[in-house]
Amino acid sequence: MAAVATCGTGAGSTGSVVAAGSKNNVTSFQRRGPRASGSDSSYSRLVSIAGTRPSVRNGQLLVSTGLPALDQLLGGGLAVGTVLLIEEDKYNIYSSLLFKYFLAEGIINGHTLLVASAKEDPADILQELPAPLLDDNVKKDFDEDACNHKTAESNIKMKIAWRYQLLPKMEQAGPVSSSRFGHYYDASKKMPQELIEASKWHGFFFPEKSSSTLNIEPCSLTHGYIKLLQFIQNIIYEEGFDGSNPQKKQKNILRIGIQNLGSPLWGDDICCMENGNSHSLTKFLYVLRGLLRNSLSACMITMPTHLIQNKAIISRVTNLSDTVVGLESFIGSERETNPLYKDYHGLIHIRQIPRLNNLIYDVSDVKDLAFKLKRKLFTIEWVQDNYLRQERNIYPPGFSYLLKQKDSAWGEGSLQHSTFLMSFLAKETAFASRLVRHSEPLEQTGSGRALQAAGPRLWRDGRRQEAPGLLVTPP
Amino acid sequence: MESVLALRGLVLLRDSVEWEGRSLLKALIKKAALGGEQVHILGCEVSEEEFRAGFDSSINSRLVYYDLFRDPLNWAQTGEALPGGPLGALQAMCERTDPGPVTVALDSLSWLLLRLPCAALCQALCAMSRQHACRGGGPAAGQLCVLGLLHRELHGPGPMGALSSLAQTEVTLSGTAGQASAHILCRRPRQRPTLETLWFSVLPDLSLDLQGGPPLESQPHPDPHTPQVDPASHLTFNLHLSKREREAKDSLTLPFQFSSEKQQALLRPGPGPATSRIFYEPDAFDDLDPEDPDGDLDV
Repeated sequence: MAAVATCGTGAGSTGSVVAAGSKNNVTSFQRRGPRASGSDSSYSRLVSIAGTRPSVRNGQLLVSTGLPALDQLLGGGLAVGTVLLIEEDKYNIYSSLLFKYFLAEGIINGHTLLVASAKEDPADILQELPAPLLDDNVKKDFDEDACNHKTAESNIKMKIAWRYQLLPKMEQAGPVSSSRFGHYYDASKKMPQELIEASKWHGFFFPEKSSSTLNIEPCSLTHGYIKLLQFIQNIIYEEGFDGSNPQKKQKNILRIGIQNLGSPLWGDDICCMENGNSHSLTKFLYVLRGLLRNSLSACMITMPTHLIQNKAIISRVTNLSDTVVGLESFIGSERETNPLYKDYHGLIHIRQIPRLNNLIYDVSDVKDLAFKLKRKLFTIEWVQDNYLRQERNIYPPGFSYLLKQKDSAWGEGSLQHSTFLMSFLAKETAFASRLVRHSEPLEQTGSGRALQAAGPRLWRDGRRQEAPGLLVTPP
Repeated sequence: MESVLALRGLVLLRDSVEWEGRSLLKALIKKAALGGEQVHILGCEVSEEEFRAGFDSSINSRLVYYDLFRDPLNWAQTGEALPGGPLGALQAMCERTDPGPVTVALDSLSWLLLRLPCAALCQALCAMSRQHACRGGGPAAGQLCVLGLLHRELHGPGPMGALSSLAQTEVTLSGTAGQASAHILCRRPRQRPTLETLWFSVLPDLSLDLQGGPPLESQPHPDPHTPQVDPASHLTFNLHLSKREREAKDSLTLPFQFSSEKQQALLRPGPGPATSRIFYEPDAFDDLDPEDPDGDLDV
């Protein structure tokens, strides 16, 4: 991604090889797994930077977003040089929490931070970061969380159908070691002061930096965005994140966090008017992406997209960002009373995942994700997990289940649309291309495996496999 | 209930044509003045005399009034107008406040919103509380209260949403059958927002009379939420198993669990296709070539 001139790595090394492979100029012939090399070893192609790891899929350098569950959903982490856009929830509670996790992860890993905000002073934001959970004192917290969870279900025997095992499991929280890629944070405690002071950070607080109220012509960047871009560019250049000033010391990542981008406090009226200065925000993102691609940095932006009146702008913004995650909280909405969602605080939508040096998307199969902010932890779970815990023992495997979602055709349905059942289709369900009629109706005694396959036209015959009391004629 | 009325930060009073909010604004001003705070008022929509009517003289002497109604564009060119237009007036108000608890009343915020760019107004409002906090040295949240009167029908969802996201408290005025109610939405920084409904009336001497609950005569909608959704209601399958069914299910072996019986069954030569036969009847859609039953010859 960033073409970086090698800075004086050893003279005797096979220089061209190292030069080509330095830092994160990743080709598909990279050796997987960075060699931990402090200085110049002739075989180190990836200089290992603290807090990063190469992706297992294509060797892309990744940093953690601060939430290991989110890392897993994004395909391992946030790629260096890309933008993660968080669409804020309505009251900006959970998105600011994700923002803080991102910054806290930077502090723990020793990255340099750049915090930009128009509402709060960056110094105040840094004071509110959550404390990291460390090995020794956290294990019992996790255990007691897990215990509360499991006592209700200990008397339900679980029979796992094969397909359910294929579904990706959300990463359960576990004790963390300091050398891990992603860390867990305790939302109820603040980060110790000495860690914050030991870190290097730059703050951009827009009301302090805005000196003049220039009259900007339309279709150009608003004043706040220009200032912010200049600030970011200066930091990148001066500190050498783009390789311009050769860094004598260890290379580091710059984590940029921009809060509430697009809100009126930045001087942008995109939230106030339908046809305001609609190109300012998109231009900003375009220029920002250029800055990021050329440097060792990763950016997280939170944006109040629920306030943007012009929906076309939201789609443009989504296209200009690399990874887009939307948060939707249940506060005040009618979903609060839905028993399916009763344990969760909101839904998390992965709207876009970038294709970096790839032809395919790296999208996880799980679509219905919900998050929950427990007292200490922020967890992301598959919504069905909650219901499936009750439903798992209703659908015995070994039978095929024809589903009909409302207003759709008979068929297996898709994982996205069914709420309960897709994982329970047994393997013996074959979609034969020919009409198959059985010699005699199957008697479902509950013993033995299904010997015949159900064809796709079985329903047309009017004869349906009757599992014991489990398929009801649709109304 | 009283704690809800301890309003700080930006407070939006959203009224409408049926339920006007100026009397509530005046009642809150009176309460603040009686509480010993400084009160600054930016009057834009009504004249000063009309606004001051209803306050008694002790309170009237404590109110600091900035008049934008008489001459908003400063055509009379007298020296007493505030420079810089409405934004300048906001700035000047901010500078003239002394440290300590201050209540600033904007009558009305709608007037300002119609004449100023929304982004500039939002920035000015945030700047007010921040500068006051800098000067006062106390915690920012506890010192300054900005009461803004906003007429709901005048603005579209954009500016309303933008101001709502800035506000710490939103009071929406509505009511039923002659009784005014206030839905108060409090956003605290890192907690869930709380929604509360108060029934109140403003007495002629501008004191606030809070009633505990809705009036007895009419209860139009006791529960605004939809009844509990039962996801299992419109399904084509049966979610509730009887005992016999549950037993049958429990006695199943999974088809892909490789148990010893299965192994034996596989090892033993089976009885062959005697137990099940497949009858095939091609129908109109089947295009079967008897020489190539699988249809995979590339001819």
